[in-house]
Amino acid sequence: MDRLVFLLGTGVARGTVLALFALSLVLIWRATRIVNFAAGAMAVVGVYVGVAVTGATGSWWWGLVATVVAGGLLGFVVERGVLRFASARSPLSGVILAIGLVVVLQSLLGIVFGQEHEPVQPPFSDRPLQVGGVPLLSPYDLFVVVVALGLLGALRLLFVKTSLGLQLRAAAFEPEVSRLLGVRVARMRTVGWVLAASAASLAALLAVPNELGLNPHAADMLFVSAFTVAVVGGLDSPGGALLGGLTVGVVTSVVTGYLGATLAPVAVLGLLAAVLLLRPSGLFAQAEARRA
Amino acid sequence: MSQLRTRTRPARTHLARTHVARTAGTLALVAVVSLTACSTPAASPGVAGETVTIGTHTPLTGPAAAGYASISAAASAYFDYLNDQGGIHGRTIEYVVKDDAYNPATTQTVVRELVQEDGVLALVNGLGTPTHGSVVDYLNENGVPDLFVASGSPAWDDPEAYPWTFAFNADYVTEAKVLAHHAQETYDDAVFCVLGQDDDFGTDFTTGLTTVLGELASTQTYSVSNQDVTAQVGAMQAAGCTVNFLATVNGFTALALGTAAKMGYRAQWLSSSSGGDYPTLLGYLGEDVGPALLQGFVSTNYLPFSADDPWVELFRRVNDEYNDGAPFTGNTVYGMSVAYTFAEALARAGEDPTRESLVEALESGDVVGNGILPLQFSADSHKAFGGVGITMVDGGMQDYVGSAWTTDTGDGPVVAHDGEPVPLEDEGVPQP
Repeated sequence: MDRLVFLLGTGVARGTVLALFALSLVLIWRATRIVNFAAGAMAVVGVYVGVAVTGATGSWWWGLVATVVAGGLLGFVVERGVLRFASARSPLSGVILAIGLVVVLQSLLGIVFGQEHEPVQPPFSDRPLQVGGVPLLSPYDLFVVVVALGLLGALRLLFVKTSLGLQLRAAAFEPEVSRLLGVRVARMRTVGWVLAASAASLAALLAVPNELGLNPHAADMLFVSAFTVAVVGGLDSPGGALLGGLTVGVVTSVVTGYLGATLAPVAVLGLLAAVLLLRPSGLFAQAEARRA
Repeated sequence: MSQLRTRTRPARTHLARTHVARTAGTLALVAVVSLTACSTPAASPGVAGETVTIGTHTPLTGPAAAGYASISAAASAYFDYLNDQGGIHGRTIEYVVKDDAYNPATTQTVVRELVQEDGVLALVNGLGTPTHGSVVDYLNENGVPDLFVASGSPAWDDPEAYPWTFAFNADYVTEAKVLAHHAQETYDDAVFCVLGQDDDFGTDFTTGLTTVLGELASTQTYSVSNQDVTAQVGAMQAAGCTVNFLATVNGFTALALGTAAKMGYRAQWLSSSSGGDYPTLLGYLGEDVGPALLQGFVSTNYLPFSADDPWVELFRRVNDEYNDGAPFTGNTVYGMSVAYTFAEALARAGEDPTRESLVEALESGDVVGNGILPLQFSADSHKAFGGVGITMVDGGMQDYVGSAWTTDTGDGPVVAHDGEPVPLEDEGVPQP
């Protein structure tokens, strides 16, 4: 029993970070109907800026702010400079542009900062708190959970309660009609990219202390897992991203713990296949009627 | 030729006639070239008047570059040093390094380029088990010396199947047996466990451990695609493991130690040389917490590593002068040792080396390398090192403890080696 509780704790900690990153994919999907394959590489650029600022100022919080701002700026530049030229007729066009962007960004980072892993320390203790003798979540894990829930709440408010949110949804859902009604669709897309890139950078910044360290490829696996999470949870649903993240995190941890690390990716793939077969819009997507 | 001429009839156009004339000319040229080729001994590929060209495949980009890109840089630096000292037999060594991003499909392409376009004399220190595994047949079918493969897989020591392939790293089974023997002698009432990579590395290493120790209390694996080993380390903690072996690459050694520290789990860690390089581990863990976490950390090695070793002093000098003072790690020593060993083989391969004479030189056993044990290549065995030494970290320094140990890859005993390490001679420039 202790073992299961321990594995669940580990899974929740990992799953929350995945959920945060998946949230950024959901954001871009909702705003532009594009799956951003460059999300990982873009997020790492933000983290490099944040880590540099933390190094210069000595404050992790300034680094956090810098990461979010740099991520957002890059989102702006990428949307205006690259992805805007993706053909609307074929979804492949955006995917290929994004993959090209991955190669360019990762190579540039490698040239400028080198390929070595740079250790990044968490701002709080990452020693797990013992609950009844079982090591559970650490203060840092709890911080990540709070950030994820906070961001989710804020996005929900933005999308549901504000005029900007309504315009964002309208622009993504029905660009032609929105344009006729006076929504500046192009601007809404840019806003969507900025929001998403900021969220992804934030997620990567939070993930890096638990990994090997900062490196041009630091978010590669995070992106792959988060993409699975987004599809499992429903690409359209921020709440689904959170629940999907927790599901994938717990499945990975429990399978690793009981069956071995080799089977963990297989189990996640199995989950993905099952979801695509049985409920292709995602486990937690409620909006059957609102599919674009 | 005469046949060509009879076909040329006056009725043919001017164009056709020049065409025939050109063909005839080309044929004549080919004949002349092949005649000269017959009259002088055929120059071996890669060997020119003043240079010897060799090549390698290694990850310079992609996720694996972080751990390995520094090896070929160090080897290149050592070749530059040798070239400045006049090279070998008056020829400088040109080391062509091709990036394969640790992707076996790319390895196949770049190795074919090296052999067919660059015309290398030999492939030296091709890196990685899956990557090199994809070209080992090609190299052997084409009779290209495939020297000092950078991988601890026992597969490279198979002179019958792969007569052109020579290993370099001490193999994982040997390493594991020596470590297990050391642990058995050193730690009383220990509970032995292992964390291994979920591929040949982990299984070969675990085989070596169980040969000496019998059944282990817990056998955990990790996959490189998931940088979270909390579940595995938690299982080792729950199983009451006190002495943990690691068949991990450097990054995952750091992750395992870091994760255990976070969980307040204290144990003795013993790692394969592939994941036991102190300067590299310090890079992952950070200068602030690294030294404390690594105190007492045990690993193996077979190359010079003590700070006051003459080889290490030479390599440090070369690293400063020819490698822009890059961080000096186990990879630096490894890359330069490979370069030295190749130069030694080349020096023994005669004034005009060929692919055949290079292999003969290695199989003669005259090439001893620079390790703590002499190389043991022979016609029957292409295994480089018959044993390893034990290293320990103490007070921020990683150094050898006790003698080197030798053993086989089967169930033979682990025996103390009584010879001395290979000494440094002639400033590290091999003499014929």
